[in-house]
Amino acid sequence: MKRKAHYLKHFTIALLGSAFIMGSMETVYADKESIILAIGGENPEGYDPILGWGSYGNPLFQSTLLKRDADLKIVPDLAVDWSLSEDSLIWTVKIRADVAFSDGSPLTAEDVAFTFNTAASAGGLLDLSNLQKAEAPDDETIIFTLKTPDITFMQHFISLGIVPEKLYGPGYARNPIGSGPYKFVRWDEGQQMIVEANDRYYGDKAKIKKLVFLFSEENAALAAARAGEVDVLGIPSSFANQDIAGMKLHVVKSVDNRGLMFPLVPNTGKKTPDGLAIGNDVTSDPAIRKAVNYAINRQALVDGVLDGYGRPAYGVVDDMPWDNNKIRFHDNDPAKAIEILEKAGWVDANGDGIVEKNGRDAEFVILYNSKDILRQGLALTVSEMLKRVGIKAIPQGESWDRIKKELTHLHVVVYGFGDHSPLEMYKLYHTSGPEPLYWNAGFYSNPVVDGYLDQALLAKTFEDSIPYWQKAQWDGETGFAVSGDAAWAWLVNLDHTYFINKCLDVGQSQMEPHGHGWPITANINQWQWTCN
Amino acid sequence: MFVQLYRIHLNRRSRTLVTVISCLALFAAVFLGAWLYGENGEITNLQLRKLPPSWEQPFGTDWLGRDMFARTLKGLRISLMIGLSAATASAIIALILGLAAATLGKAVDTAVTWLIDVAIATPHLILLILIAFACGGGAKGVIIAVAASHWPVLTRIIRAEVLQLRSSAFIHLSAKLGRGPLWIAWHHMLPHLLPQFVIGLLLMFPHAILHAAALTFLGFGMSPHTPAIGVLLAESMRYLSMGLWWLAVAPGLTLIISVQAFDILGNSLRVLLDPKTCRE
Repeated sequence: MKRKAHYLKHFTIALLGSAFIMGSMETVYADKESIILAIGGENPEGYDPILGWGSYGNPLFQSTLLKRDADLKIVPDLAVDWSLSEDSLIWTVKIRADVAFSDGSPLTAEDVAFTFNTAASAGGLLDLSNLQKAEAPDDETIIFTLKTPDITFMQHFISLGIVPEKLYGPGYARNPIGSGPYKFVRWDEGQQMIVEANDRYYGDKAKIKKLVFLFSEENAALAAARAGEVDVLGIPSSFANQDIAGMKLHVVKSVDNRGLMFPLVPNTGKKTPDGLAIGNDVTSDPAIRKAVNYAINRQALVDGVLDGYGRPAYGVVDDMPWDNNKIRFHDNDPAKAIEILEKAGWVDANGDGIVEKNGRDAEFVILYNSKDILRQGLALTVSEMLKRVGIKAIPQGESWDRIKKELTHLHVVVYGFGDHSPLEMYKLYHTSGPEPLYWNAGFYSNPVVDGYLDQALLAKTFEDSIPYWQKAQWDGETGFAVSGDAAWAWLVNLDHTYFINKCLDVGQSQMEPHGHGWPITANINQWQWTCN
Repeated sequence: MFVQLYRIHLNRRSRTLVTVISCLALFAAVFLGAWLYGENGEITNLQLRKLPPSWEQPFGTDWLGRDMFARTLKGLRISLMIGLSAATASAIIALILGLAAATLGKAVDTAVTWLIDVAIATPHLILLILIAFACGGGAKGVIIAVAASHWPVLTRIIRAEVLQLRSSAFIHLSAKLGRGPLWIAWHHMLPHLLPQFVIGLLLMFPHAILHAAALTFLGFGMSPHTPAIGVLLAESMRYLSMGLWWLAVAPGLTLIISVQAFDILGNSLRVLLDPKTCRE
């Protein structure tokens, strides 16, 4: 029933979407100041930063205290000055005085404090539990008091959009008002969203006056683009090898990665407090995890599954400032994988093509989200590559629901991560609590790595924390990377592919995080129309 | 020429027999081929991606370089197996309910006719989806859903047939001679019902296969990399706009052919088994 309704809904959306395009096209092209984007990003929960909107990607309607430029350097946005106390517990941030929300009311320190305090107590997607309180002693100063020192708290200055205290309420997510470069006009759920440039924006004013976000299915969006009715089209890389008249391909590097999460503890019948079974007797052997890492041909995955739009992934933070380049290794090396397996006692004694140890076959299930064709492709090709070294990996598609609520601690899972903050690395590799969900679902725990990660949080400045992030990956003796514990097998970093109208200049896009929302709009105020 | 030869040398009965045998041979070929291919249909080969049909790959290859001919064969086998087992289960349910309704008295008859009405009144696909969903998906869910939703029509036919038989003279005579209802059902009615039953079963196959394909197409059932025909067709939809037409055409055509073959098989058997037509 539900499924049927769902399909009906999509069908209706597609119909309405195309009707909408046809109805409004002429007016849109009459003035070049408005563009149509089909880049997904419809957020069913709405556009409330406190509930997590913009935490991956750009909030657009709201502005943040700090932001990252195209080179991912931290630059001021609302803030003019920020400093951390000697004991690393108190941040003092000064903001500009000339900022107004799009409804005209001024943005003061009170609004900032309100946003952070509400987000800390909301307990949504954002984890601000470390915030003791945020206070505004005057209109331009905010003092953040932390419970424990944590340099990554800065990430919230970059990602949390500021909401107006007076207007914030239950309906805010569906009528967001902020101080960002664009203001919300209307949202026809499942169809489109219209936004206009915010005249009161304090930064560089956007040159494109109006944006229309089209929410339609892949094929409908592609057909609309081919008909010349879309200016920016986000498209899976498997569709990128084609020509669309009047459009050019725009490839953006990303830290949006995909990898295999291994359960790292044996299955002893233990369960999480919620009753999820834990552990896998095959992947808890480091030799298996290393062999998998060495056997995989990552470049072939990039060429074959991503159609060349991506690059091999060796760690979770490839090419980020806190990446440790010593963790790179030569993969596609079945001989080495077999050698590792043999040393650990995994040999094929019974000649069935699968190595075994103490009577147990090297066999495990690779779970992938059954809706995700890319993860399906990775799971299938990887299991093919592992056959060469005598490991039997059985791909199995499951719904996210079932993966999250039943299977995530039992089997290898194709997950995707990738953020502009190393905090994600902390969550993935630090010894977890009893119910880690998809963060550290394999129950990885190494006291030395924990030590580095904790030290990284304690650093005085973000720059000081970088060596610790790098040592957590590999310090010469241990770490979570392949030369150490091989806790994951990272496979690929995606490129995000867009088709963009030849007349539209979108400037230099920044390296994008894991895809949610509209990361490509991070530099939207530089976008301009170049034709007459 | 060939057709003419048939016309000259074969009467209708022989021709029908030939048709039946070629249909059976077709299904045997599907099962044999799928069995011979073994694991091969699942093998990804990134060097041979998105190739159009050729001598080496008669149905082309998909986006991971899997041979579509092997996948289609295996898909047909899965669809046929699901369809066959579901239709058989459905037919057995129909036989039992039909016999029970017609022989076990008024109350049972009312209950069975009510059940038939309910099942027929519920929109077919919705009933299928509901049952498949309730059974937790997977091949098992699809089989149960198709089996539990295709019996009503055949039940009606069998019930009507039995009612008609009951009023015939030899049944009355048998009852007068002191035979119990079950004995009569087994010895006098079943032989008369058998042709109806076999033909009903055969004509149910195409329905069952198509509905199984529809369910897998909608994503109920197996892992999305299992090559069921419905899954293959759903997957091909994504690539139609990229010009990979063969992903949809080959599995679609083979599905139509096998469904049509079952239909022909059913009708031919009816001709052979029906006393009125078997000597034509």
